[in-house]
Amino acid sequence: MSDKNNIALSVRNLKTFFYTNNRCNKAVNGVSFDVKKGKTLCIVGESGCGKSVTAATIMQLLPTLSRIEEGEIIFQKDDKKINIEKLEKNGKEMRSIRGSDIAMIFQDPMTALNPVYTVGFQISENLKYHTNLNKKQIREKCISLLSDMGIPLPEKRVDEYPHSYSGGMRQRAMIAMAMACNPKILIADEPTTALDVTIQAQIFELMDKLKKENDTAIILITHDMGVVAELADNVAVMYMGNIVEAGTADDVLRRPTHPYTKALLESVPVLGRGKDQDINPIKGSTPDPYNRPVGCQFAPRCNWKTESCDVMPEIEQINETHQIRCHKYEQFFESYNGKRDT
Amino acid sequence: MLLVISFLVYLGLELAPGDAVSHMISPELASTITEEQLNAMREAYGLNQSFLTRYWLWLTSMVQGDMGYSMAGGVAISEIMAKTIPATLELSIVALIFSTIIGCSLGVISALKRGSGTDNSLTVAGMAGVSIPEFFFGLVAILLFAIELRWLPVGGRLLPHYENVWDRIPNIVLPSMVLALMMTAGAMRYARSSMLDVLSREFITTARSKGMPEWRINILHGFRVALTPVVVLIGFRLPLLIGGSTIIEQVYQWPGIGSMFIRSVRASDYPLVMTISLMYVFVVLTASLVIDILTALIDPRVRLGKE
Repeated sequence: MSDKNNIALSVRNLKTFFYTNNRCNKAVNGVSFDVKKGKTLCIVGESGCGKSVTAATIMQLLPTLSRIEEGEIIFQKDDKKINIEKLEKNGKEMRSIRGSDIAMIFQDPMTALNPVYTVGFQISENLKYHTNLNKKQIREKCISLLSDMGIPLPEKRVDEYPHSYSGGMRQRAMIAMAMACNPKILIADEPTTALDVTIQAQIFELMDKLKKENDTAIILITHDMGVVAELADNVAVMYMGNIVEAGTADDVLRRPTHPYTKALLESVPVLGRGKDQDINPIKGSTPDPYNRPVGCQFAPRCNWKTESCDVMPEIEQINETHQIRCHKYEQFFESYNGKRDT
Repeated sequence: MLLVISFLVYLGLELAPGDAVSHMISPELASTITEEQLNAMREAYGLNQSFLTRYWLWLTSMVQGDMGYSMAGGVAISEIMAKTIPATLELSIVALIFSTIIGCSLGVISALKRGSGTDNSLTVAGMAGVSIPEFFFGLVAILLFAIELRWLPVGGRLLPHYENVWDRIPNIVLPSMVLALMMTAGAMRYARSSMLDVLSREFITTARSKGMPEWRINILHGFRVALTPVVVLIGFRLPLLIGGSTIIEQVYQWPGIGSMFIRSVRASDYPLVMTISLMYVFVVLTASLVIDILTALIDPRVRLGKE
């Protein structure tokens, strides 16, 4: 686990702030995690907790009103360590990483493809900028990528425009685009939110296959706990710009130790338990990002709040893999673990 | 469509006070001329027949390709058109080309540097360009470039010593630039908003995530998509090419179809007014066809399936 060579991307104390109307939104406020080669890290959390901003920060695709305030993003390229946060935003080096070493899949395949170019053209742009293939080879590669993605008649489909693709096919085409240069890291920002469940399963299957074949590290951003349980090797739970709990999928899903993680898991309805099952939604709503609570960000909504929660808890290691940011985690964990045993 | 409009125009001319004959006689003659003489003149021109008969006569000859003769001067209309259309087209095409190129590029620059000083000054200039009437610009430009600076001629199209294409350029610069000014302002505002809209779309982020250089993202992914509405706007301006230069042609004494149209309306010169307005209608209809074709060329979503 601690083998440093296996780490593809390491994020340390990352802070990304947005500045609007002279106010500062600390969208990502001190996030640290590692992504290992050939493993999937799921980042989960409510809307607005900073998941997507974290992803955009890694790609340096932030909007103009935001910037990386602090921290490090270290990308392991072969034997070199590259500090992404130090690269110029749209500079040559950053561009050479984007699309070739780190690729991204976006949430809505309906809008993420350019409507006036053929799918083949849009895939080929990646290859054109990051490989030395000639036109004919690029075209062959596009066709083989599309056929790998399970798109029927790829020779014909390659010359079609996105509007003649269905939603699932567009997302496949997006993945083909992202995987064109065999990236070391694939960032998927809620890739199936806009798709129906059967397509979702196919897309994840595809991503899993690609991960195993190419040893790609995947950062999957989602709020679907079912997806997390299915795909994740590691999970990071974010709340209001912080990671509140992180660990292996087993750690976080089976032994949730932060009140927020537990609450998140309990608010998911389980199929087959019928309509009368108890769903416990988290009470209250996420605080205004411009008017944050002092100390632990979850405290106002937490049943375990004490005075000590007015101070932001530090990250503590429960075991080698499991990290937690909570003052009361020991009491909390014991309390419900006891309950569960009886 | 052509038929309906031609009838309406004919009707309008009929309802207007006075007829061709009353414009033909000079004021000195008007006091001495008798009613019989006037009627004789009307008879000679066929004006004493009923409205519908005249319309029918005009229509049948028009369909056969006979545009008739101008009532003022008796010149064949086909001859007048052959002389004036090239002059107007020359003026308008130069203006359209300049306004499109300059307008689009300024609009794109403005959108890319949104909120900057360049953008703001272009916005102000654009608003001024759209709202100030063109004859005002025309007169200011004459005052400045022709009278004060004496760089360019005041008006006219061909000089007596006209020899080759280069001699014509000084004459066309002022009217075409003034004509282009307004169109540029419009195209610029349109290109800017269209470009801003496109730049905020998600596929621009996708393009950026592929690691392509900014110019390629902006031009190939941004401008190409932003172009569709701009092309439609320019397409709708094609009829203006023929009709829109009327005022400028007056200001600069440009012997084009616009000034001819005004003269013919004043003289109640039926055949000429009819031919010119019919041509305007024809151009408008053709333009919408051209727009459809152009949009299909640019935007694959509009194209028909190949199956």
